[in-house]
Amino acid sequence: METPVISPEQAADALKQAAAAEKRSARAYRYQRFAPYLFLWGVIWVIGYGASDLIPRWSGWIWLGLILGALAFSILVGRGAEPSRPKSNWRIALSFTTIWAFIASTYAVMAPVSAMQQGAFPPLVVAFFYILLGLLWTGPRLIIAGVAVGVLTLGGFFYLPQHFLLWEGFVGGGALILAGIWFRRV
Amino acid sequence: MAEIDAVIHQPVRLKIMAALKGLPLNEQIEFVRLRKLVDATEGNLGAHIQTLEQAGYIAVEKDFADNKPRTRVKLTKQGRRAFEDYVAHLRDIIRDTP
Repeated sequence: METPVISPEQAADALKQAAAAEKRSARAYRYQRFAPYLFLWGVIWVIGYGASDLIPRWSGWIWLGLILGALAFSILVGRGAEPSRPKSNWRIALSFTTIWAFIASTYAVMAPVSAMQQGAFPPLVVAFFYILLGLLWTGPRLIIAGVAVGVLTLGGFFYLPQHFLLWEGFVGGGALILAGIWFRRV
Repeated sequence: MAEIDAVIHQPVRLKIMAALKGLPLNEQIEFVRLRKLVDATEGNLGAHIQTLEQAGYIAVEKDFADNKPRTRVKLTKQGRRAFEDYVAHLRDIIRDTP
């Protein structure tokens, strides 16, 4: 292979191309890593909010089981994706625990007066977390997912109060599942 | 001044190397995803991957997943170093221009 001679302009252009390809690849990787969690929480929302609407008496236990199951699943997914980096699995597990601890603490202090308020708060926290994570690390797709979750939650809360829990389950959960599929694509 | 690396200095191969550099250390990427990332045709990507593999810059692993053939690619230690040297060389060319 001949050794090429290149001008400073060509060097600058090659550097620009390399930086763009590296950035695109890193971002696609982060999206791919995030996809199973979006899919998982989408399914959880469908089951959890669906149960809260249809069998409210059992919804507390169902949510507890779902959250513990999600935590275990998240650790397993992390382990499968990066067996060489066990610390990142615990980081993910601790992040979820922190979010749920924050939600539980806020309920304890602020005491929501209706099931609707109780149901709307976690998706708003999740939306806030996604937007922040998207801005600081993952990229624009997570910002879009966060905005979608936030807007759908507020829309259901204010304009469809009588069916809010079902709305949150099927529309909010469905949006997360769709986002999970979108995140897997390059 | 060191010579520019002719193996890397080709638009598609440069994109392949940069895309692999964007992944965490020792992380593999599937051929299909890489093809979309670098926007190349299957045949074109295959040929460039072969060139990079022969140079020792990337490692190719072929196996089966869900009964379908799967090809995965990762940057080798030698490839990572070569890419970093290539980028440093480009920066030198720009910096040394009066």
